[in-house]
Amino acid sequence: MTRDWWKHLLLILGVIVVIAPFYMMVSYSFKSPGEIDRGEGGFFGRQELMVDERCVVRRDPSRADITAAAPRFPGQNDRDIRDALVAEAETDCSMRPVVFNYTMAFTEAPLLRYLMNGIIVTASIFLIQVVVALPAAYALAKLKFWGRDAVFALVLFCLLIPVHAIALPLYILLAKLGLTNTYAALVVPWTISVFGIFLMRQFFMTVPDDLIDAARMDGMSEFAIVWRVMLPTAIPALLAFAIFSIVAHWNDYFWPRIVVTGNRDLFTPPLGLREFKGGGDGSFFGPMMATATVIVTPLIVAFMLAQRRFIEGITLSGMK
Amino acid sequence: MSLADGVPHEAVVEKTVSHNVKERRAAWILTGPALILMVVILLAPILVASLLSFTNYSLGNSGFDWVGFRNYEKLFTRSTYAKMFVATLTYVVTVVPISVGLGLGAALLINSLGRFREVYKTIYFLPVMATLLAMAIAWEFMLHPSIGMINRTLEMGCGTFLERIWSFMANGCAGHFPVWLGDKRYAIWVISFIGIWQGFGFNMVLYLAGLTGVHRELYHAAEMDGARSAWERFRLVTWPALGPTTVFVVTISCIRAFQVFDTIEAFWPQGGGPNKSTYVMMFAIFEKGVQQNLIGIGSAITMVFLAFVMFLTLIQRWLVERKVHY
Amino acid sequence: MAGLSIKNINKRFGETEVLKGVSLDIADGEFVSLVGPSGCGKSTLLRIIAGLEEQTSGDVQIGGASVAGQRAADRNLSMVFQSYALYPHLSVGENIAVPLRMRRMNTLQRLPLLGGVMPGKTRRAEEIAKEVTHAAEILEIAHLLDRKPGQLSGGQRQRVALGRALVRDPAAFLLDEPLSNLDAKLRVQTRAEIAQLHRQLKATFVYVTHDQVEAMTMSDRIAVMMGGRILQCAAPETVYDDPDRIEVAEFIGSPKINLLPVELSETGQVHLLGEPLSLTTGRRTKAVGSLGLRPEALFLTDSNAPLRGQIVHTENLGSELFVQVEVNGLGSRITFRTTPDKRASLAQGATVGLDFDADKALIFDAIGARVRDTHSTTTSKTEVA
Repeated sequence: MTRDWWKHLLLILGVIVVIAPFYMMVSYSFKSPGEIDRGEGGFFGRQELMVDERCVVRRDPSRADITAAAPRFPGQNDRDIRDALVAEAETDCSMRPVVFNYTMAFTEAPLLRYLMNGIIVTASIFLIQVVVALPAAYALAKLKFWGRDAVFALVLFCLLIPVHAIALPLYILLAKLGLTNTYAALVVPWTISVFGIFLMRQFFMTVPDDLIDAARMDGMSEFAIVWRVMLPTAIPALLAFAIFSIVAHWNDYFWPRIVVTGNRDLFTPPLGLREFKGGGDGSFFGPMMATATVIVTPLIVAFMLAQRRFIEGITLSGMK
Repeated sequence: MSLADGVPHEAVVEKTVSHNVKERRAAWILTGPALILMVVILLAPILVASLLSFTNYSLGNSGFDWVGFRNYEKLFTRSTYAKMFVATLTYVVTVVPISVGLGLGAALLINSLGRFREVYKTIYFLPVMATLLAMAIAWEFMLHPSIGMINRTLEMGCGTFLERIWSFMANGCAGHFPVWLGDKRYAIWVISFIGIWQGFGFNMVLYLAGLTGVHRELYHAAEMDGARSAWERFRLVTWPALGPTTVFVVTISCIRAFQVFDTIEAFWPQGGGPNKSTYVMMFAIFEKGVQQNLIGIGSAITMVFLAFVMFLTLIQRWLVERKVHY
Repeated sequence: MAGLSIKNINKRFGETEVLKGVSLDIADGEFVSLVGPSGCGKSTLLRIIAGLEEQTSGDVQIGGASVAGQRAADRNLSMVFQSYALYPHLSVGENIAVPLRMRRMNTLQRLPLLGGVMPGKTRRAEEIAKEVTHAAEILEIAHLLDRKPGQLSGGQRQRVALGRALVRDPAAFLLDEPLSNLDAKLRVQTRAEIAQLHRQLKATFVYVTHDQVEAMTMSDRIAVMMGGRILQCAAPETVYDDPDRIEVAEFIGSPKINLLPVELSETGQVHLLGEPLSLTTGRRTKAVGSLGLRPEALFLTDSNAPLRGQIVHTENLGSELFVQVEVNGLGSRITFRTTPDKRASLAQGATVGLDFDADKALIFDAIGARVRDTHSTTTSKTEVA
């Protein structure tokens, strides 16, 4: 420990740089606009009550409101009633900055909808990837058929192609099919994971043939073998692949940016955040950082809970 | 079961044949969906892009003209695209070595520690997990010229000795500190920095995995053989053992670096940064092909991009098979 | 070449004490085996000698000088590792050359490209190449010099590891279970070759193994270690025939020594199952103990057999026959050795009588220490009868 002090010093410097934007993101999501502007309030901000100006403006009393409120303020003129109403609105609209920021994050834009979309898209992508890749991987690993080597060579070749790189022709194909601005557009290009096939094939190669022969002796068809014998044995590898796939697609921004234009109902979390940024003015730093925090948190929390599996999953591609 | 039981020989043959046919049919049905999708989603688009790169096609137009190599010609003559290549290569050449170096350094440091290993590992891995777009926005605030944390921190150095020994500080304190994202001198380096920030934890984890594969007795052997310094042991044992990891880490870092997009689109939705200094290829494909509907030129950039990436991966495979394979 | 001296070494890993005051002197040119079950501390002791591990207390001397505080690289020792620890990226020749390059070339000369232009490099490189070839010829691996370790068989790798150890002229060779990764046949062959190498080099060898056969066949002396102590260090014959402790007697020898519970009387008479044996000891106090009999100390007899029992199992090794007998009244089995031609008369379940050679009987007391001065009292016994 004492001899290693310089190592810790270096690593802690690194930690500061790595943590800084996370710290700032979470901290700003707690603070009032004034505190952000002046750069004060420490990590949590002072959490003084603040007035949401937009809320006050929204409740600006109309003629009718004043008339309606007149009985509550007997003997006062309209002007006083109006002032009283504004004061009331200000009290109602004042809240702690943290509450303000997170409320705004969820009300200013349909953040819940975005999160739902994120879940729908990542889950569908993963499920379809498994449904397509698992049988193919099994056939490539365990069945002998003419053309197997050619198919596997094709898989190896396709591993060279990053899907982002061919985004443009894919976009044209989808546009021609009239599929842009649909869930399908978000999911379809990712339905085939050659990496998944490759990975599962390598895994299946290690499964003893005896297990499959035993299943055949029990009268199982090849399809039953895939789902009832191979799938259960592949759970650890599949879990790692799930993490790899989900992290990649939850965080993906490029592809949704291309195929979803304008239709907010289809926005994935990163797209939603992007729009928030585009539409907001300076006073929206707090809510925006709250949105960012909400979007980043699920994966980070999951990662903290199952670090080993996550690191395994993300670095899967390093396995040979 | 056996022939001795009197089962006619032909029946056995017939049975195996039918079994083979069944197995073959099953195999094709099982691989069928994957095959079709591979062709439609991965191979066809390459073909489409390569064809379209010779046209002036636009979405919505009924027809198009073949323009030969004109798109490619533009790509290699116009200054915009020169800037594109410069920005992309600057980014790749900066980010790859530094993020690989930092990843290796962090892995070696962490691996040599007895305590807190997991803590460092977890923290350094956070940026890999986090949504890059969200973090880009966080960085944008950090880099804000007046209220950003970075310039505020720099301002704290004003009036100290730093001002005297570092002209950058002196200039900053006298006038103002850089408008990081708005200055073409800084923009690409800021983007590279964020790329390194995001990626080195990934490399670190791969290196840590590689280090667990180094046999401990090799270090003892090196010690017995007279390797006195940590550097000698690194040269003799660690570095060669990490050869395959390094090849992989470099390749994957390259491919990821080529694909940089999120940060640039978040910072400069239009035009690719101050004076197009961060106009990288993925952004160019997006801007030309999708936003401006210039499919031809977008496809040409796609083809060049694919060529880069595939070339890199092929080099990697070759290296893995030839050189670092013991 | 030099002798080694280990003085009162203690080693703790946290709470557990791995070595408890180990002392051992190894003469120049001697071949000493450290043998014991796994976890007895033999490898730790070797690594402390090597300098790869630091002792908690005690001293190691090489050639009479203390090496306290000296690191492994400076102790001028060679070591052969269990896993061979060959550098996988270097060819066989380069592997063997490493100790020489590390010691004779400076950092600049070793640099891959720049090194070539450094003064003195070429001459040193030639010298080294010559010595590498010489070492390779001794071990008959000269034809493998250009291969990578990955392309070699286990036995060949083992030789390369030996080559790397003997290419320089170390004060002593340390070998850490070098044969344990070889198959049985190759192990027997390599055993002989290492012994031969030792004779040829006349160097000091310290050899760690858990296999008592290796220790017995190769060593000048065997140090039997158990529980962090050296129980006995002596020539193989002595350790076998005249063990100091019951643990040593049990560890050395295959099949294992037979141990029978006996009582010692005040007169020194030894009783087995309540019956007096024709054996007395020098100890004159009443006590319980064990009688140790090697399988070859027992023989079949018809009359007056002190041990009787039923044959439960026989193992025919071709040259000899080991028979397990369930002893009446004892409830345990003992094994005796005989010749295969007796097989016909040794049917399973047959009752046999066994006697033993009193000279070869080993008596241990209740805590396992050897009780010496045993005398055969055959004559007096006959008189009593």
